[in-house]
Amino acid sequence: MLDSAMAALASLADPSLLLMLLIGTVAGLVMGLIPGLGGTGAVAILLPITFGMEPPQALALLIGALAVVHTSDTVSAVLLGAPGSASASVTMLDGYAMAKKGKAARALTLAFLSSMAGGIIGAIGLTLAIPLARPLVLSFASPELFMLTVLGVALAAVLSRGNIIKGVSAGLLGLVLGMVGTSPTTAEERFTFGSLFLGDGLSLVAVALGIFGLAEIASRASQRRGQKENITLGGGWGQGIREWLSHWTQVIRGALIGIWAGVLPGVGATAGTWLAYGQAVATAKDKRKFGKGDPRGIVGPESANNSVEAGDLIPTLLFGIPGGVPSAMLLGMLLTYGIQPGPSIITEHLDLMYLIVWSFAIASILGALFCFLSVKQLAKLTKVPFAVLAAGLVAVMLLGSFQEGGQLGDLWVMIILGVFGWLLKSTGFPRAPFLIGFVLAIPLERYYFLTDSLYNGLDWMARPGVLVFLAILVLPILWAFIKFIRARRNTNLDDGHRNERPEDDESPLKNSVWSLTAAGIFAVAFAAALISSASFSPEARLVPQLVSIGGLVFSGILLFTEIRTRLRARTASTGWTLDAGFAMKTFLWMTAFLALTAAFGYLIAVTVFIPAFLLIVARARLKVAIIYTAALYVVLLALPSLLPIDLPQGWLNTLV
Amino acid sequence: MTSQKSALEPPLGLDETAASELPEPPQHSRRTVLGAVASFAVLGLATTVLGEGLLNPPSSTEDGNFSGETLEFLIPLASGGGTDTWARFIGTELTNYIPGRPGFAPVNEPGGEGISGTNKFARSAKTDGTEILVGTASTVVPWVLGRSAVKYSFEDLKPVVVNGTGGVIYARTEAGVKGIGDLVNRDKPLEFGGISATGLDITTLVAFDLLEADVTSTFGFEGRGPVNLALQRGEIDLDYQTTSAYGSAVEGIAKEGKATVLMSFGQLDDSGEVVRDPNFPEVPTVAEAYEQLHGKKPSGEKFEAYKTLLGLTYTYQKGLWVPQETAEKAVTLLRESSEKLGADKEFQTKAAKVLGGYPLVADADMADRVRDAYTVSSSVRSYVKELLESKYNIHVE
Repeated sequence: MLDSAMAALASLADPSLLLMLLIGTVAGLVMGLIPGLGGTGAVAILLPITFGMEPPQALALLIGALAVVHTSDTVSAVLLGAPGSASASVTMLDGYAMAKKGKAARALTLAFLSSMAGGIIGAIGLTLAIPLARPLVLSFASPELFMLTVLGVALAAVLSRGNIIKGVSAGLLGLVLGMVGTSPTTAEERFTFGSLFLGDGLSLVAVALGIFGLAEIASRASQRRGQKENITLGGGWGQGIREWLSHWTQVIRGALIGIWAGVLPGVGATAGTWLAYGQAVATAKDKRKFGKGDPRGIVGPESANNSVEAGDLIPTLLFGIPGGVPSAMLLGMLLTYGIQPGPSIITEHLDLMYLIVWSFAIASILGALFCFLSVKQLAKLTKVPFAVLAAGLVAVMLLGSFQEGGQLGDLWVMIILGVFGWLLKSTGFPRAPFLIGFVLAIPLERYYFLTDSLYNGLDWMARPGVLVFLAILVLPILWAFIKFIRARRNTNLDDGHRNERPEDDESPLKNSVWSLTAAGIFAVAFAAALISSASFSPEARLVPQLVSIGGLVFSGILLFTEIRTRLRARTASTGWTLDAGFAMKTFLWMTAFLALTAAFGYLIAVTVFIPAFLLIVARARLKVAIIYTAALYVVLLALPSLLPIDLPQGWLNTLV
Repeated sequence: MTSQKSALEPPLGLDETAASELPEPPQHSRRTVLGAVASFAVLGLATTVLGEGLLNPPSSTEDGNFSGETLEFLIPLASGGGTDTWARFIGTELTNYIPGRPGFAPVNEPGGEGISGTNKFARSAKTDGTEILVGTASTVVPWVLGRSAVKYSFEDLKPVVVNGTGGVIYARTEAGVKGIGDLVNRDKPLEFGGISATGLDITTLVAFDLLEADVTSTFGFEGRGPVNLALQRGEIDLDYQTTSAYGSAVEGIAKEGKATVLMSFGQLDDSGEVVRDPNFPEVPTVAEAYEQLHGKKPSGEKFEAYKTLLGLTYTYQKGLWVPQETAEKAVTLLRESSEKLGADKEFQTKAAKVLGGYPLVADADMADRVRDAYTVSSSVRSYVKELLESKYNIHVE
């Protein structure tokens, strides 16, 4: 075993192999930087190039890219509050909070180091998993997978910063939104209103970028001035590394959770990263700083989202069952070389297995190194006025989200969810449970039904794995409820002076018309879901109905508290603030951009929107606006021939 | 490290200071804004209008070669799946065999489980042979079922090349299945794990109905891989796998005695009869299994439906299609190039795994055989719909 491992390492000294690994790594980093492309984009671009290569070269190239996509996707999440991929939205919670305090470089350093460690631990896990994978995968049957999905949503709702009822409501609404499309059990369409577009469900990229990215842009596009402060690592490399080392247990825990989430089919990077965050919060003694720039909130998830990719390779290689799209493409590539994934791969292609392991580890180190060296340059981005960045970000995010499905409808969904995300953010609803609910909706329902129809009655509840998950699930909820009731009792004693507590600067519109509206939207959405699910077949109806009844209860409580607060306050509460007005205006700009795209195509929309936004909203200098637009124009012209990127076509394009 | 620090880092402790901001920039005059926006708009408009003509000159594909052209493959599914891999591989190889060596541009148009992209192709594909549709079971089955979302018909398309696949049905030995005979007269029906009754599973369901096997079904699995795992865990008893997955999913557990291979789907021969699959020469087909169980050759409505579905979802499963109106010369050139590709020994070894051991079929009579296979009689349609409604409570819209 050691012989093959060393032989594989020696083969990596071959310059052509090393070059491929390097190219793959750089391509992966670039893909990670662009919101919406991620691992799928990286493999899709590189796959056609590999046809005609020898298997080792091709593998080095693809693994190099796959290993580092989640290293660089942190950059936009931390610096701009716009996650490069759905799983980076977890790192964003604390990373972006840290960056807003002027510690972007510190956040990035922690993130990159953790990504590297996650990758290396993932590679080690891959090696060790070779003999263990089979019993591991086989011990997770439908009931365990079902409990895992429930745990994912529940943890997200309970552990998010802010009000637990708001967290649960957001998680449940995410579940309802995730059920739009074809039902996993009966193949009937739900909540689609006869639309083929909705039949596939909403695109994850559009939802994630809308709810986090566009919402963030809208709330910050009024910043015309850059931050003048100096960006430092807070004590140089040495201190950055020392700080990171002090969280080494988090790194290892995160990586192990990541591997595990990758191994299990149907869990995936987003949920795995979230579970890592959840355990970091759950096991921390002092939880107050989470969401406000706690390094532990960066280290664990970043370590996890890199090791997920390694974990994902385990079922892909050993069973031929890919856990995600990138590994599915990798599987396709292996098949074209006549390499049959399956248990026999260990005996027949052990050298390639080790090549994969080494490539993964080396690429993780290289990727982190490249990012690490550019931390200071990258962190300077925060000096650019946000409004100037916003113009380009809107264009890039919409283009990125268009790539997945190639449908303009996804972009409309994205803007609508952007408005909704802004409302959630401003009124103190945590957004993470919403996204996790959306991601896990279908797996949750799928494994519930499989459990229900494959096991007698409640026998499955007695399985040891299920019991462990139940304990993990129930204990924090109980604890949170006790805390909530205590908090309520205290406020009752205070005779409703809740408004006098220092307001969270993150959610300026709490206890206002806006939060009342938000609670109203929740209640209406759940009621609508409940009513329209009445027409589904009994099997397709059960889970949506349970979720929407639960949602109605929680949003009812919210609505009740909101109304009571308003009645008691009697003072004029926050109404149409300046920031709210600006956010709405920004969304109008986005809508206009999309309308232009629909009419004249993406190229024209960009050449109109970018200079207009830069000059009118951002008030950038004319020279800046011209260079900015011209650069984007050239990139857009070149992009489709360099990368597999399609520009949205408008009505005009169909004429010429 | 310490000596470097002073050169690299600004003085310490500044990161804690509050954000101090630059003054608000002044507003621009209306003229500047209008001027800048208008000139860029003109640039964008000019590129869109002129660029189209400059970048994509009108094609000439009827002159015996495709030089300077680009073959666009419309793949109606997301990138990464089996069909996508197949199409990209075939496309890359095929373009080297077409005279003039055209470029190759795979376009994924996922949506509506393959229906949206195929609808779009049917509506707007060019008829010069440069736009090619990739067809597969996910787009064929909804067409067979007559779903209202389907706006295309394979009767309006011409096949360029087709490629089949096969599969086997196997069972968990521990569930008390030693052979085909154990499919009937059971105390407890066998549990079949499926993805969706209106997908590729339909052929297996019709096979069970034909055999009168004692089977109940649970749908909702993510894919065939998870079904295979569920069978190994003992959650379900019956599964099928296609030929390309057989090696990794079934062969091992069958050798260990954990699974019993029952039958193969078989293949349709030139005359439309079910024959043994060349990849599973030892395994009886569904038709043979029927004989074994019921002592006579299968016939009638159910068997006709099985044969139709076998052709559509296995023997002629994947294909490249062009619109019916495509110029004959261009189609012939594409077909003959595919035939050459399929006959090339080097390609055959290279492609063995992607094609799953089934040849590329592009001979001159192929179009007629495919035409027959893709003609679905109304009785077959209504039987399949009736089966879905009565047994699985699924109403096809």
